[in-house]
Amino acid sequence: MSSTTAISAKGLSKRFKTGRTHIQVLKAVDFEARHGEVTMVMGPSGSGKSTLVACLSGLLKPDEGQVTAMGEDLWALKPGRIDRFRLDHCGFIFQGFNLFSSLNALDQVALILKYKGFSRSAARRRAAVALDEVGLTHRLRQRPSEMSGGEKQRVAIARALAKDPQLLFADEPTSALDGETGQVIVKLLQRAAKEHGAAVICVTHDPRLEAYADRIIHIEDGEVLSDEPARQAPGPAPAVPHPELVGA
Amino acid sequence: MSLALSTLIYEWRRYTAAVVALAFSGLLILAQVGMFTGIVQGITATIDRSRADIIVMGPKVEALIDSGPGSGVPARIMPLIYLNPQVVEVQDLQGNGSMWMNNPPPGHKRKTDFVQIWTVDVSRPDAVTLPVDYSEATRLALMEPLSVAIDKTSLARLGVKLDDSAVINGRTVHVRAVLQGYPSINQPTVVMSRDSYRMLGLKQDDTRLGPLMVRIKDPARAELVRSQLNAASHGAYRAWTRAELSKANRGALMKEQIIGVFLGFSLFLGFLIGVGITSQTLRGALLANIKELASLRALGVSMGSLRKLVLELSLWVGVVGLAFTGLFTWLVSLLGDKAGVPMGFPLRWIVTVALLLLAISVASGLLSLGILKKSQPADLLR
Repeated sequence: MSSTTAISAKGLSKRFKTGRTHIQVLKAVDFEARHGEVTMVMGPSGSGKSTLVACLSGLLKPDEGQVTAMGEDLWALKPGRIDRFRLDHCGFIFQGFNLFSSLNALDQVALILKYKGFSRSAARRRAAVALDEVGLTHRLRQRPSEMSGGEKQRVAIARALAKDPQLLFADEPTSALDGETGQVIVKLLQRAAKEHGAAVICVTHDPRLEAYADRIIHIEDGEVLSDEPARQAPGPAPAVPHPELVGA
Repeated sequence: MSLALSTLIYEWRRYTAAVVALAFSGLLILAQVGMFTGIVQGITATIDRSRADIIVMGPKVEALIDSGPGSGVPARIMPLIYLNPQVVEVQDLQGNGSMWMNNPPPGHKRKTDFVQIWTVDVSRPDAVTLPVDYSEATRLALMEPLSVAIDKTSLARLGVKLDDSAVINGRTVHVRAVLQGYPSINQPTVVMSRDSYRMLGLKQDDTRLGPLMVRIKDPARAELVRSQLNAASHGAYRAWTRAELSKANRGALMKEQIIGVFLGFSLFLGFLIGVGITSQTLRGALLANIKELASLRALGVSMGSLRKLVLELSLWVGVVGLAFTGLFTWLVSLLGDKAGVPMGFPLRWIVTVALLLLAISVASGLLSLGILKKSQPADLLR
């Protein structure tokens, strides 16, 4: 697996206005994430980790600093081009699953592929493959209301992975799930890095996930406290099928 | 199935208010149009369903409705009409206003009303002034001296039922026939034979006739004969084809009476209510899905695509609202039928209402677009 830089940031600063005061959420943060690696961004609530991810992914413009993603100066692009960049290269997994209640699993995933330009049949084929990869082959026709939290998060992951993103951002992907299901989810993220070569950037404050990280960045009060390789990087996730994923 | 349509179907409860608002906006207008058209058709029925191909009236009359005594012509005109070789029969449509009093059963209050009287020629089944939808039984019933026929919808107003007696111009008349499809918006209409009319002393001026009902040899040439008659009139009368007069009558009622104002106001009100409720419903429904929309934005779906999604959704709401308008209007027309109130739905108005509802839904969609600004994907990263 390649280990080239997928995304890097230099001197990212962001401050928010609350009432009459300004809060400096990011203070000249430098950041780098590589293809094929899971980079965990950890820190307590309010430390600025989510803001960092928002700035890195083109969702929130930093006040200062530069983001170079896939070789492009992200914030130099026009808003429409940033949307297109995200469509082409970025996947997102949120704490809430944010699935449309009217669509079944297959349509949730196929929807985004259609926006990417796939034909209806190609989108559905590809969506089925992505759902198979997260162990949901038997749940293709289920709507969110008929699925467990873990299954919903796996649909969200399939939706993020279906377009084969090179950058995968996950914000507290396990915090709404029980420990066992959370582990299944983080293993899926690890597979996205190891098998698809994506740069996975995962924000969490769950210390149990550290075991799955290649690099761990600790952030507090808008500053990077430490940036070091994980002590014990686990090997690649087992190849499909994944019987342990099915019960999540 | 598109996301917009599947959302509308799956979350139909969320959109019920908008669909109902649209359906009732449409119904508000169509039901009124239906009733007014029914009334207009009732009023013009004497012309629409007459056997005359051409009607000759006073020169300055614009329609049979509200034209007063000017709708008639001097008696000397009748022989002039016969000069045209195409003309086979001319009769005047005699009519007058009179007071009506019923003879109520003991203990009931007497009802007095001013009625419009029209006459028909009952002497033979195909007389030119006898409407085509009069049954033979009605014609025979009206042959009885001093018998009258009244539309079903006017019976209660005039306080009578079949075979009851009443008083017109000091003479007792009997209700011997009940008509259908001749309702009246102004005065109730009473129909009688020309003989009864004369017996009641309602025919006053022998030198004047009512509008002339003209039958010609070949009805297909009505327009040609009408032009020939008008060319020979020297301003003494004006000839109309039956279709022309019918159209003029409808126009007169819509334009000159309060009906036009009613309908215009309903259209305006329907639009306001429709846009108000539909846009608020759409905004609520979009707000409920704002996180899902924001996640699409995060995944790179452009704002333009989301706007299209909202407009498609609003258009579908309009289409469903339209379907319910159709259903409700149909139910109302069934009720109308049952109550003897004829309703008519001209295609022009149906198209107008359909366009109005789609305009309401799209306008509501446009008004709801602002909500999309709240779909900030960065807000999902909390």
